[in-house]
Amino acid sequence: MPPAASVTDDNFDHALALAACARGDRHALQRIYEQESRYLLGVAMRIVRSRAAAEDVLHDAFVAIWSKAHSFDAARGAARGWIYSIVRHAALNRVRSSARESTLDEPTAAAYEASAAMAAWQEEGDALDRQAQLGRLGQCLEGLEPQRRECLLHAYVDGCSHSEIAARVQAPLGTVKAWIQRGLRALRECMQ
Amino acid sequence: MSADTNHQLPPDGDSPDDLQTLAGQYVLGTQDAAERRAIEERLPQDAALRAAVDAWEQRLQPLTTLAPPQEPSTGLWPRITASLWPAAEPQRAAAAVPRRWWHWDSLALWRGLAGSGFAAAAVLAGVLVLGPAPAPGPARYFVVLAAPQSQAPGWLVQAQAADRLRLVPLGTDVVPAEKSLQFWTKADGWSAPVSLGLVKPGEAIEVPVDKLPPLQPNQLFELTLEPAGGSPIGKPTGPIQFIGRAVQI
Repeated sequence: MPPAASVTDDNFDHALALAACARGDRHALQRIYEQESRYLLGVAMRIVRSRAAAEDVLHDAFVAIWSKAHSFDAARGAARGWIYSIVRHAALNRVRSSARESTLDEPTAAAYEASAAMAAWQEEGDALDRQAQLGRLGQCLEGLEPQRRECLLHAYVDGCSHSEIAARVQAPLGTVKAWIQRGLRALRECMQ
Repeated sequence: MSADTNHQLPPDGDSPDDLQTLAGQYVLGTQDAAERRAIEERLPQDAALRAAVDAWEQRLQPLTTLAPPQEPSTGLWPRITASLWPAAEPQRAAAAVPRRWWHWDSLALWRGLAGSGFAAAAVLAGVLVLGPAPAPGPARYFVVLAAPQSQAPGWLVQAQAADRLRLVPLGTDVVPAEKSLQFWTKADGWSAPVSLGLVKPGEAIEVPVDKLPPLQPNQLFELTLEPAGGSPIGKPTGPIQFIGRAVQI
Protein backbone atom coordinates (compact mmCIF):
# COMPACT_ATOMS: atom_id res chain seq x y z
CA MET A 1 0.00 0.00 0.00
CA PRO A 2 1.53 3.34 -0.94
CA PRO A 3 1.96 5.79 1.91
CA ALA A 4 -0.34 8.77 1.92
CA ALA A 5 1.59 11.40 -0.01
CA SER A 6 -0.13 14.19 1.83
CA VAL A 7 -2.94 14.61 4.29
CA THR A 8 -4.22 17.46 2.19
CA ASP A 9 -7.25 16.49 0.19
CA ASP A 10 -8.61 18.80 -2.47
CA ASN A 11 -12.02 17.25 -2.03
CA PHE A 12 -12.15 17.89 1.70
CA ASP A 13 -15.61 19.13 2.57
CA HIS A 14 -15.08 21.98 5.02
CA ALA A 15 -18.78 22.72 5.39
CA LEU A 16 -19.50 19.12 6.29
CA ALA A 17 -16.69 19.13 8.84
CA LEU A 18 -17.97 22.36 10.43
CA ALA A 19 -21.47 20.93 10.63
CA ALA A 20 -20.03 17.88 12.39
CA CYS A 21 -18.14 20.17 14.81
CA ALA A 22 -21.40 21.94 15.57
CA ARG A 23 -22.86 18.54 16.50
CA GLY A 24 -19.98 17.93 18.87
CA ASP A 25 -17.90 15.61 16.67
CA ARG A 26 -14.34 16.14 17.92
CA HIS A 27 -12.85 14.13 15.08
CA ALA A 28 -14.26 16.64 12.62
CA LEU A 29 -12.19 19.40 14.22
CA GLN A 30 -9.14 17.15 14.04
CA ARG A 31 -9.80 16.53 10.34
CA ILE A 32 -9.91 20.28 9.73
CA TYR A 33 -6.65 20.61 11.66
CA GLU A 34 -4.97 17.87 9.65
CA GLN A 35 -6.20 19.37 6.43
CA GLU A 36 -5.47 23.04 7.04
CA SER A 37 -3.16 23.63 10.01
CA ARG A 38 0.09 24.03 8.03
CA TYR A 39 -1.52 26.55 5.67
CA LEU A 40 -3.25 28.38 8.50
CA LEU A 41 -0.01 28.52 10.47
CA GLY A 42 1.70 29.94 7.39
CA VAL A 43 -0.94 32.66 7.12
CA ALA A 44 -0.68 33.48 10.84
CA MET A 45 3.13 33.53 10.82
CA ARG A 46 3.27 36.09 8.05
CA ILE A 47 1.07 38.35 10.14
CA VAL A 48 2.43 37.85 13.67
CA ARG A 49 6.03 37.07 12.58
CA SER A 50 6.91 34.58 15.26
CA ARG A 51 6.27 30.88 15.42
CA ALA A 52 5.29 30.92 19.09
CA ALA A 53 2.82 33.77 18.58
CA ALA A 54 1.46 32.13 15.43
CA GLU A 55 0.87 28.86 17.29
CA ASP A 56 -0.92 30.80 20.03
CA VAL A 57 -3.10 32.34 17.32
CA LEU A 58 -3.82 28.94 15.81
CA HIS A 59 -4.68 27.53 19.23
CA ASP A 60 -7.12 30.33 19.92
CA ALA A 61 -8.53 30.12 16.41
CA PHE A 62 -9.22 26.38 16.64
CA VAL A 63 -10.92 26.88 20.00
CA ALA A 64 -13.02 29.58 18.32
CA ILE A 65 -13.74 27.39 15.27
CA TRP A 66 -15.05 24.69 17.59
CA SER A 67 -17.17 27.01 19.67
CA LYS A 68 -18.50 29.03 16.74
CA ALA A 69 -19.05 26.15 14.31
CA HIS A 70 -22.80 26.29 14.95
CA SER A 71 -22.88 29.87 13.69
CA PHE A 72 -21.27 29.10 10.34
CA ASP A 73 -23.74 30.03 7.63
CA ALA A 74 -23.00 28.70 4.17
CA ALA A 75 -25.17 31.45 2.69
CA ARG A 76 -22.55 33.95 3.87
CA GLY A 77 -19.58 32.32 2.19
CA ALA A 78 -17.55 29.17 1.84
CA ALA A 79 -16.58 27.15 4.89
CA ARG A 80 -12.88 27.17 4.07
CA GLY A 81 -12.90 30.96 3.82
CA TRP A 82 -14.72 31.19 7.14
CA ILE A 83 -11.96 29.17 8.81
CA TYR A 84 -9.21 31.30 7.25
CA SER A 85 -11.00 34.48 8.26
CA ILE A 86 -11.09 33.37 11.89
CA VAL A 87 -7.34 32.73 11.84
CA ARG A 88 -6.49 35.97 10.03
CA HIS A 89 -8.60 38.13 12.32
CA ALA A 90 -7.22 36.39 15.41
CA ALA A 91 -3.71 37.14 14.11
CA LEU A 92 -4.60 40.74 13.19
CA ASN A 93 -6.25 41.42 16.54
CA ARG A 94 -3.18 40.04 18.27
CA VAL A 95 -0.70 42.25 16.43
CA ARG A 96 -2.91 45.32 16.62
CA SER A 97 -3.42 44.99 20.35
CA SER A 98 0.25 44.29 21.03
CA ALA A 99 3.07 46.77 21.01
CA ARG A 100 4.29 45.83 17.57
CA GLU A 101 3.30 49.21 16.19
CA SER A 102 6.08 50.89 18.12
CA THR A 103 8.80 48.31 17.47
CA LEU A 104 8.24 48.19 13.76
CA ASP A 105 9.61 51.63 13.17
CA GLU A 106 12.99 49.99 13.31
CA PRO A 107 14.47 50.17 9.83
CA THR A 108 15.91 46.67 10.18
CA ALA A 109 12.51 45.16 10.75
CA ALA A 110 11.13 47.03 7.79
CA ALA A 111 14.03 46.08 5.59
CA TYR A 112 13.77 42.47 6.65
CA GLU A 113 10.12 42.28 5.75
CA ALA A 114 9.86 44.89 3.06
CA SER A 115 10.06 42.69 0.03
CA ALA A 116 8.14 39.77 1.46
CA ALA A 117 4.81 40.41 -0.18
CA MET A 118 6.36 41.46 -3.45
CA ALA A 119 8.71 38.53 -3.46
CA ALA A 120 5.78 36.18 -3.44
CA TRP A 121 4.24 38.27 -6.13
CA GLN A 122 7.15 38.89 -8.44
CA GLU A 123 9.57 36.04 -7.97
CA GLU A 124 7.39 32.99 -7.57
CA GLY A 125 6.21 31.84 -10.95
CA ASP A 126 4.94 33.85 -13.82
CA ALA A 127 1.72 35.71 -14.37
CA LEU A 128 -0.04 32.63 -15.67
CA ASP A 129 0.82 30.66 -12.53
CA ARG A 130 -0.49 33.46 -10.40
CA GLN A 131 -3.69 33.64 -12.32
CA ALA A 132 -4.18 29.93 -11.94
CA GLN A 133 -3.62 30.34 -8.22
CA LEU A 134 -5.48 33.57 -7.64
CA GLY A 135 -8.04 33.44 -10.43
CA ARG A 136 -9.89 36.64 -11.18
CA LEU A 137 -8.29 38.31 -8.16
CA GLY A 138 -4.87 37.74 -9.72
CA GLN A 139 -5.91 39.33 -12.99
CA CYS A 140 -7.41 42.31 -11.21
CA LEU A 141 -4.31 42.78 -9.03
CA GLU A 142 -2.16 42.68 -12.15
CA GLY A 143 -4.23 45.55 -13.48
CA LEU A 144 -3.62 47.76 -10.44
CA GLU A 145 -0.88 50.34 -10.29
CA PRO A 146 2.10 48.61 -8.66
CA GLN A 147 2.15 50.88 -5.60
CA ARG A 148 -1.48 50.17 -4.82
CA ARG A 149 -1.00 46.46 -5.36
CA GLU A 150 2.01 46.50 -3.05
CA CYS A 151 0.04 48.28 -0.32
CA LEU A 152 -2.82 45.79 -0.54
CA LEU A 153 -0.45 42.81 -0.35
CA HIS A 154 1.51 44.25 2.57
CA ALA A 155 -1.79 44.68 4.35
CA TYR A 156 -3.48 41.39 3.60
CA VAL A 157 -0.53 39.01 3.53
CA ASP A 158 1.88 40.68 5.97
CA GLY A 159 -0.73 42.14 8.31
CA CYS A 160 0.74 45.63 8.11
CA SER A 161 -1.12 48.63 9.49
CA HIS A 162 -1.41 51.86 7.50
CA SER A 163 1.63 53.30 9.24
CA GLU A 164 3.69 50.15 8.77
CA ILE A 165 2.90 50.18 5.07
CA ALA A 166 3.82 53.85 4.87
CA ALA A 167 7.21 53.00 6.40
CA ARG A 168 7.76 50.16 3.97
CA VAL A 169 6.79 51.91 0.76
CA GLN A 170 8.30 55.17 2.01
CA ALA A 171 5.25 57.25 1.25
CA PRO A 172 3.26 59.62 3.48
CA LEU A 173 0.54 58.01 5.59
CA GLY A 174 -2.25 59.95 3.86
CA THR A 175 -1.01 58.85 0.47
CA VAL A 176 -0.92 55.24 1.54
CA LYS A 177 -4.47 55.44 2.88
CA ALA A 178 -5.64 56.93 -0.40
CA TRP A 179 -3.80 54.28 -2.44
CA ILE A 180 -5.43 51.55 -0.39
CA GLN A 181 -8.90 53.03 -0.70
CA ARG A 182 -8.54 53.44 -4.45
CA GLY A 183 -6.94 50.04 -4.79
CA LEU A 184 -9.88 48.47 -2.97
CA ARG A 185 -12.37 50.34 -5.12
CA ALA A 186 -10.61 49.34 -8.33
CA LEU A 187 -10.43 45.71 -7.22
CA ARG A 188 -14.11 45.62 -6.42
CA GLU A 189 -15.03 47.13 -9.76
CA CYS A 190 -12.75 44.73 -11.57
CA MET A 191 -14.15 41.70 -9.80
CA GLN A 192 -17.80 42.54 -10.26
CA MET B 1 -9.73 51.04 -14.87
CA SER B 2 -9.57 54.78 -14.41
CA ALA B 3 -6.24 56.45 -14.05
CA ASP B 4 -5.25 58.29 -10.92
CA THR B 5 -7.86 61.05 -11.03
CA ASN B 6 -7.45 62.13 -7.44
CA HIS B 7 -11.05 61.57 -6.38
CA GLN B 8 -12.29 63.26 -3.29
CA LEU B 9 -12.34 60.53 -0.66
CA PRO B 10 -15.80 60.03 0.78
CA PRO B 11 -16.46 61.46 4.25
CA ASP B 12 -17.36 59.20 7.13
CA GLY B 13 -20.92 58.09 6.84
CA ASP B 14 -22.93 55.28 5.46
CA SER B 15 -22.77 55.69 1.72
CA PRO B 16 -22.35 52.35 -0.03
CA ASP B 17 -18.85 53.39 -1.02
CA ASP B 18 -17.87 54.18 2.58
CA LEU B 19 -19.25 50.87 3.72
CA GLN B 20 -17.23 49.06 1.09
CA THR B 21 -14.07 50.93 2.05
CA LEU B 22 -14.62 50.26 5.74
CA ALA B 23 -15.31 46.59 5.12
CA GLY B 24 -12.38 46.26 2.75
CA GLN B 25 -9.99 47.85 5.22
CA TYR B 26 -11.27 45.63 7.99
CA VAL B 27 -10.61 42.51 5.93
CA LEU B 28 -7.24 43.83 4.78
CA GLY B 29 -6.48 44.44 8.45
CA THR B 30 -4.98 47.92 8.17
CA GLN B 31 -6.95 49.56 10.97
CA ASP B 32 -5.79 49.97 14.54
CA ALA B 33 -7.20 47.98 17.46
CA ALA B 34 -9.89 50.52 18.35
CA GLU B 35 -11.15 50.77 14.77
CA ARG B 36 -11.20 47.00 14.46
CA ARG B 37 -13.12 46.66 17.71
CA ALA B 38 -15.65 49.29 16.60
CA ILE B 39 -16.34 47.30 13.44
CA GLU B 40 -16.56 44.00 15.27
CA GLU B 41 -19.07 45.53 17.66
CA ARG B 42 -21.11 46.88 14.77
CA LEU B 43 -21.16 43.66 12.74
CA PRO B 44 -23.85 41.76 14.68
CA GLN B 45 -26.40 44.54 14.16
CA ASP B 46 -25.40 45.81 10.74
CA ALA B 47 -26.42 43.46 7.97
CA ALA B 48 -25.11 45.72 5.20
CA LEU B 49 -21.66 45.93 6.77
CA ARG B 50 -21.69 42.20 7.39
CA ALA B 51 -22.52 41.52 3.74
CA ALA B 52 -19.75 43.88 2.62
CA VAL B 53 -17.23 42.17 4.93
CA ASP B 54 -18.31 38.72 3.75
CA ALA B 55 -17.86 39.79 0.14
CA TRP B 56 -14.37 41.17 0.83
CA GLU B 57 -13.40 38.00 2.69
CA GLN B 58 -14.36 35.99 -0.37
CA ARG B 59 -12.68 38.35 -2.82
CA LEU B 60 -9.34 38.42 -1.04
CA GLN B 61 -9.19 34.90 0.35
CA PRO B 62 -7.08 33.55 -2.57
CA LEU B 63 -4.24 35.74 -1.27
CA THR B 64 -3.85 33.39 1.69
CA THR B 65 -2.07 31.05 -0.75
CA LEU B 66 0.82 33.55 -0.93
CA ALA B 67 1.89 32.63 2.61
CA PRO B 68 4.22 29.63 2.54
CA PRO B 69 2.91 26.71 4.64
CA GLN B 70 4.50 26.12 8.06
CA GLU B 71 4.38 22.77 9.79
CA PRO B 72 2.91 23.20 13.29
CA SER B 73 4.86 21.74 16.19
CA THR B 74 3.62 18.36 17.38
CA GLY B 75 2.45 19.85 20.65
CA LEU B 76 -0.06 22.22 19.12
CA TRP B 77 -2.95 19.83 18.53
CA PRO B 78 -2.70 18.32 22.03
CA ARG B 79 -2.68 21.87 23.41
CA ILE B 80 -5.87 22.68 21.50
CA THR B 81 -7.63 19.53 22.71
CA ALA B 82 -6.48 20.16 26.28
CA SER B 83 -8.08 23.61 26.13
CA LEU B 84 -11.29 22.36 24.57
CA TRP B 85 -11.77 19.10 26.39
CA PRO B 86 -9.90 18.94 29.69
CA ALA B 87 -9.60 15.20 30.21
CA ALA B 88 -11.13 14.48 33.59
CA GLU B 89 -13.40 17.44 34.03
CA PRO B 90 -16.49 16.64 31.94
CA GLN B 91 -17.19 13.25 33.52
CA ARG B 92 -16.64 14.52 37.03
CA ALA B 93 -18.86 17.52 36.46
CA ALA B 94 -21.57 15.39 34.92
CA ALA B 95 -21.50 12.99 37.85
CA ALA B 96 -21.72 15.82 40.34
CA VAL B 97 -24.94 17.20 38.88
CA PRO B 98 -28.07 15.76 40.36
CA ARG B 99 -31.12 15.17 38.21
CA ARG B 100 -31.95 18.48 36.64
CA TRP B 101 -34.95 20.10 38.15
CA TRP B 102 -35.84 22.40 35.26
CA HIS B 103 -37.46 20.33 32.58
CA TRP B 104 -36.41 23.06 30.15
CA ASP B 105 -32.97 23.40 31.66
CA SER B 106 -31.19 21.98 28.71
CA LEU B 107 -27.71 23.14 27.85
CA ALA B 108 -28.37 22.15 24.26
CA LEU B 109 -31.25 24.59 24.26
CA TRP B 110 -29.14 27.41 25.64
CA ARG B 111 -26.20 26.60 23.44
CA GLY B 112 -28.55 26.73 20.48
CA LEU B 113 -29.77 30.10 21.63
CA ALA B 114 -26.23 31.30 22.12
CA GLY B 115 -25.97 31.17 18.34
CA SER B 116 -29.11 33.16 17.76
CA GLY B 117 -28.28 36.05 20.03
CA PHE B 118 -29.36 37.44 23.33
CA ALA B 119 -32.71 38.76 22.17
CA ALA B 120 -34.00 35.29 21.38
CA ALA B 121 -32.56 33.96 24.60
CA ALA B 122 -34.13 36.72 26.63
CA VAL B 123 -37.51 36.24 24.97
CA LEU B 124 -37.42 32.54 25.61
CA ALA B 125 -36.30 33.10 29.16
CA GLY B 126 -39.33 35.35 29.65
CA VAL B 127 -41.68 32.78 28.18
CA LEU B 128 -40.21 30.01 30.28
CA VAL B 129 -40.32 32.04 33.44
CA LEU B 130 -43.98 32.82 32.86
CA GLY B 131 -44.74 29.33 31.64
CA PRO B 132 -44.27 26.55 34.16
CA ALA B 133 -45.87 26.75 37.56
CA PRO B 134 -43.28 27.57 40.24
CA ALA B 135 -42.04 24.52 42.04
CA PRO B 136 -42.54 24.47 45.80
CA GLY B 137 -39.57 25.17 48.01
CA PRO B 138 -37.01 27.97 48.14
CA ALA B 139 -36.89 30.55 45.39
CA ARG B 140 -34.92 29.42 42.36
CA TYR B 141 -33.05 31.59 39.95
CA PHE B 142 -31.15 31.51 36.75
CA VAL B 143 -28.99 34.07 35.01
CA VAL B 144 -27.97 34.31 31.38
CA LEU B 145 -24.54 35.97 31.21
CA ALA B 146 -24.11 37.76 27.91
CA ALA B 147 -21.20 39.60 26.32
CA PRO B 148 -21.77 43.32 26.89
CA GLN B 149 -21.08 44.28 23.26
CA SER B 150 -22.52 41.50 21.15
CA GLN B 151 -25.14 40.43 23.71
CA ALA B 152 -24.24 36.88 22.79
CA PRO B 153 -25.04 34.55 25.69
CA GLY B 154 -21.85 32.98 26.98
CA TRP B 155 -22.62 31.39 30.33
CA LEU B 156 -25.60 30.23 32.31
CA VAL B 157 -25.83 30.48 36.10
CA GLN B 158 -28.14 27.91 37.66
CA ALA B 159 -29.14 28.30 41.27
CA GLN B 160 -29.86 24.66 41.89
CA ALA B 161 -30.00 24.84 45.64
CA ALA B 162 -29.85 27.50 48.28
CA ASP B 163 -26.22 26.81 49.12
CA ARG B 164 -24.58 26.64 45.73
CA LEU B 165 -24.55 28.00 42.21
CA ARG B 166 -23.56 26.24 39.07
CA LEU B 167 -21.90 28.22 36.29
CA VAL B 168 -22.11 26.50 32.92
CA PRO B 169 -20.38 27.59 29.70
CA LEU B 170 -22.46 27.86 26.54
CA GLY B 171 -19.38 28.01 24.38
CA THR B 172 -15.66 28.13 24.84
CA ASP B 173 -14.17 31.54 25.45
CA VAL B 174 -10.56 32.29 24.88
CA VAL B 175 -8.67 33.90 27.70
CA PRO B 176 -5.15 35.25 27.12
CA ALA B 177 -2.47 33.18 28.81
CA GLU B 178 -1.54 35.81 31.37
CA LYS B 179 -5.17 36.50 32.36
CA SER B 180 -7.85 34.83 34.46
CA LEU B 181 -11.61 34.93 34.21
CA GLN B 182 -13.12 35.88 37.57
CA PHE B 183 -16.76 35.40 38.63
CA TRP B 184 -18.49 38.08 40.72
CA THR B 185 -21.89 38.85 42.13
CA LYS B 186 -23.48 41.92 43.62
CA ALA B 187 -27.00 42.34 44.95
CA ASP B 188 -28.74 45.68 45.25
CA GLY B 189 -27.53 47.35 48.40
CA TRP B 190 -24.10 45.68 48.46
CA SER B 191 -21.30 48.20 48.33
CA ALA B 192 -19.10 46.12 46.02
CA PRO B 193 -19.14 42.88 44.06
CA VAL B 194 -18.06 39.73 45.88
CA SER B 195 -15.74 37.28 44.17
CA LEU B 196 -17.11 33.81 43.52
CA GLY B 197 -13.74 32.58 42.33
CA LEU B 198 -11.84 31.97 39.13
CA VAL B 199 -13.36 30.30 36.12
CA LYS B 200 -11.70 28.34 33.36
CA PRO B 201 -13.06 28.98 29.88
CA GLY B 202 -15.39 26.23 28.75
CA GLU B 203 -15.54 24.53 32.15
CA ALA B 204 -18.55 24.30 34.40
CA ILE B 205 -17.98 25.04 38.07
CA GLU B 206 -20.04 24.80 41.22
CA VAL B 207 -19.68 27.62 43.69
CA PRO B 208 -20.76 27.35 47.33
CA VAL B 209 -22.75 30.43 48.30
CA ASP B 210 -23.76 29.43 51.81
CA LYS B 211 -21.66 32.32 53.19
CA LEU B 212 -23.61 34.84 51.13
CA PRO B 213 -27.06 36.29 51.74
CA PRO B 214 -29.84 34.51 49.82
CA LEU B 215 -30.03 35.33 46.15
CA GLN B 216 -32.24 38.26 45.25
CA PRO B 217 -34.17 38.97 42.09
CA ASN B 218 -32.13 41.14 39.74
CA GLN B 219 -28.86 40.28 41.52
CA LEU B 220 -25.92 41.05 39.26
CA PHE B 221 -23.47 38.40 38.06
CA GLU B 222 -20.46 39.06 35.89
CA LEU B 223 -17.24 37.57 34.60
CA THR B 224 -14.30 39.94 34.27
CA LEU B 225 -10.87 39.54 32.76
CA GLU B 226 -8.32 39.87 35.55
CA PRO B 227 -4.59 39.35 35.99
CA ALA B 228 -3.60 35.71 36.27
CA GLY B 229 -4.68 34.42 39.67
CA GLY B 230 -7.47 36.95 40.02
CA SER B 231 -7.94 40.58 40.91
CA PRO B 232 -5.21 41.74 43.28
CA ILE B 233 -7.56 44.10 45.15
CA GLY B 234 -10.59 41.85 45.66
CA LYS B 235 -12.72 43.96 43.36
CA PRO B 236 -13.14 43.75 39.59
CA THR B 237 -10.35 45.60 37.79
CA GLY B 238 -10.59 44.31 34.24
CA PRO B 239 -13.14 44.52 31.43
CA ILE B 240 -16.48 42.76 31.82
CA GLN B 241 -16.62 39.73 29.54
CA PHE B 242 -20.13 38.54 30.44
CA ILE B 243 -22.85 40.06 32.58
CA GLY B 244 -26.42 39.29 33.56
CA ARG B 245 -29.02 39.60 36.31
CA ALA B 246 -30.83 36.90 38.23
CA VAL B 247 -34.33 36.01 37.14
CA GLN B 248 -36.57 34.18 39.58
CA ILE B 249 -38.37 31.14 38.25
